[in-house]
Amino acid sequence: MAAVELTHITKTFGEVRAVDDVSFAIEQGELFGLLGPNGAGKTTTIRCMLDIFKPDSGTVAILGGPMTEAKKDRIGYMPEERGLYQDIPLERCLGYLGSLKGLSPAEARRRYEPYLERFDLAEHRGKKVKELSKGMQQKAQIIATLLHQPELLIVDEPFSGLDPVNTQLVKDLLRELRQQGMTVVLCSHQMHLVEELCDRIVLIDHGEVMLYGALDEVRRRFSANALLVRAAGDLSGLPGVESIEPVNGTVKLHLAPKAEPQSVLKALVARNLIVEQFEVALPDLDEIFIRVVRGEGGTA
Amino acid sequence: MIKTWRVALHEYRQHVFNKRFLLGLFSVPLLLLVMVGLIFLIFAMENNQAPIGYVDLSGILADPLPPPPVENPDRPVEFFAYPDEAAAMSALEAGEIQAFYVIPADYRTSGALRVVHLQDLKYSPRSQFEAFLSVNLLRDADPAVANRLIEASDVTVRSPDGSREMSSTGWFNMLLPAFAGMAFVIAMFTAGGYLMQAVVEEKENRTMEVLITSVSPGQFMAGKIIGDIAIGLTQIAVWLAFIAGGILIGRGSIDFLQGIQISPQLVLLVVVILFPAFVMVAALMAAIGATVSEAREGQQMTGLISLPVWIPFMLLMLIVESPNSPVVLFLSFFPLTAPLTILMRQSMTILPAWQIAVSAGIQILGAVGAVWLAGRAFRLGMLRYGKRLRWKEIFARA
Repeated sequence: MAAVELTHITKTFGEVRAVDDVSFAIEQGELFGLLGPNGAGKTTTIRCMLDIFKPDSGTVAILGGPMTEAKKDRIGYMPEERGLYQDIPLERCLGYLGSLKGLSPAEARRRYEPYLERFDLAEHRGKKVKELSKGMQQKAQIIATLLHQPELLIVDEPFSGLDPVNTQLVKDLLRELRQQGMTVVLCSHQMHLVEELCDRIVLIDHGEVMLYGALDEVRRRFSANALLVRAAGDLSGLPGVESIEPVNGTVKLHLAPKAEPQSVLKALVARNLIVEQFEVALPDLDEIFIRVVRGEGGTA
Repeated sequence: MIKTWRVALHEYRQHVFNKRFLLGLFSVPLLLLVMVGLIFLIFAMENNQAPIGYVDLSGILADPLPPPPVENPDRPVEFFAYPDEAAAMSALEAGEIQAFYVIPADYRTSGALRVVHLQDLKYSPRSQFEAFLSVNLLRDADPAVANRLIEASDVTVRSPDGSREMSSTGWFNMLLPAFAGMAFVIAMFTAGGYLMQAVVEEKENRTMEVLITSVSPGQFMAGKIIGDIAIGLTQIAVWLAFIAGGILIGRGSIDFLQGIQISPQLVLLVVVILFPAFVMVAALMAAIGATVSEAREGQQMTGLISLPVWIPFMLLMLIVESPNSPVVLFLSFFPLTAPLTILMRQSMTILPAWQIAVSAGIQILGAVGAVWLAGRAFRLGMLRYGKRLRWKEIFARA
């Protein structure tokens, strides 16, 4: 059973079709990337997923069926625009948000203590939220989202405002949660982080699904028939290679349309060159993202 | 249900344990205290306790009876007899007395007397001397008649059904419903203001999105309204405690406070008229909070609710002079004007049971409607940032 399944959902606001026939599924226990440029319809899709908005058409199944009040306690959602009470102490804010997820005040306290320690917020617990730095508020929001140990976690831009140390902290935490069996939906513009963390992705643009699938498979689909090679010696004149481009200490061999990587490897071995690195040059997610958004490929 | 209570508790704690609220809460009784203090001060200034002298040439006060007891908060003044005006004048100039009366020999026939004073002679000492003189003028009359003449008439106006009466000691009871109505209205707008502010802030700081993925809009709105009512009731309870304390302390020295009684009908009106009105105003304030995009805009819109609520106060003279006129009757039934109108009319006239029933019914329906409206406004407006939700939209989708 998928943790979330969206089937042909459409949502229109006035003249604007924010989500247009979007379908995808998020499997249980996976770390799933939801990508798209600004205004692509990601947030509307999430809101439809969470039953904040009713889609005009299509169906949403979350944790095995339609959204219910009871299911809200099994879901953690951190919206892109942070939402914490600014005028109350951090502890009270966490306690209240935890209590709205079904935790008793004592249980909420028991659960936020270790997180406060881990995120270096323990000594700031008594401060009003508005007195915390942006990064601290970001971490506090993450704690509030995780307190009730949800089965499904949806985090929208969890890394914004974090320094490299805290970014690593959140990355480790997300990996840890996946290992514990939590389904995580990561919505982010930071492609290298999505690439690092996610198993599968969906890319939405103009309300439509442009890419959907396992990350490796998507990258392979966008590979430009090129090889990355690091080898000592002359690489010119290799059969099937149209051009050579130096890239960060390696060379990128652009192959002719029907040339096979295997035949290039054979030629390298035949020349008796010492090959340190030989791999199919796959595009990174940044490149794929830009190509898709510019309309250079991408299908659902 | 537990989430509703948690929202209510949060709402309550956030506002009640807050300096701004506490300042507002205690400033009203403190203001009352200052006002009462000023009244006492004025009484004290009016009540010069220095003795009054008299030169009696008529013989009325030759062997005087003591003056009648004075009513609180007045203080008794002593009266000294002087053989002639010169002696009285020197006592006056020496500051031993505040004034002296000269009662001429023909006073019984002329009724004219003379008073000499250096500073303004206040009402209280003057009336005490007049009472002293009256007692002695009537010393030979039948005591019952003398007593009637001295105390004058005490008219008690009683309604035909005997349910209400007004006398010189019970006049404050007449005003009590109007005061209760005003206190409730002030409390409902103070608490409602907090509620609106809280909803707008939750929209502004984007907490709303987190909240609605934790509780249902119904639970959230119900919790907010319960919290809001609890805030208002806290305010009223604290004020009542101050007033009750004031009455208990002041009973000994202020006569009219002894007659204060809370009638069962006033309690009934609080329950069936003021309480639903409180819910209605709270819900409407929440609806405003959900529809606007910033607090300032919300405060401007609050006027649309507060203005009709205060209209009866502006039409005070009409309600006093014609409490049963068609206009006043209409105001008694219109949801927002009913609370003050009904309570003010209760002070001025006998409210027929059917009018209370109809008004209460309309208030309760109004409260239910307002909660429904707030729920819709909340559902549609909760994620509307930077753009106001139009009332047309709320009803269009209904």
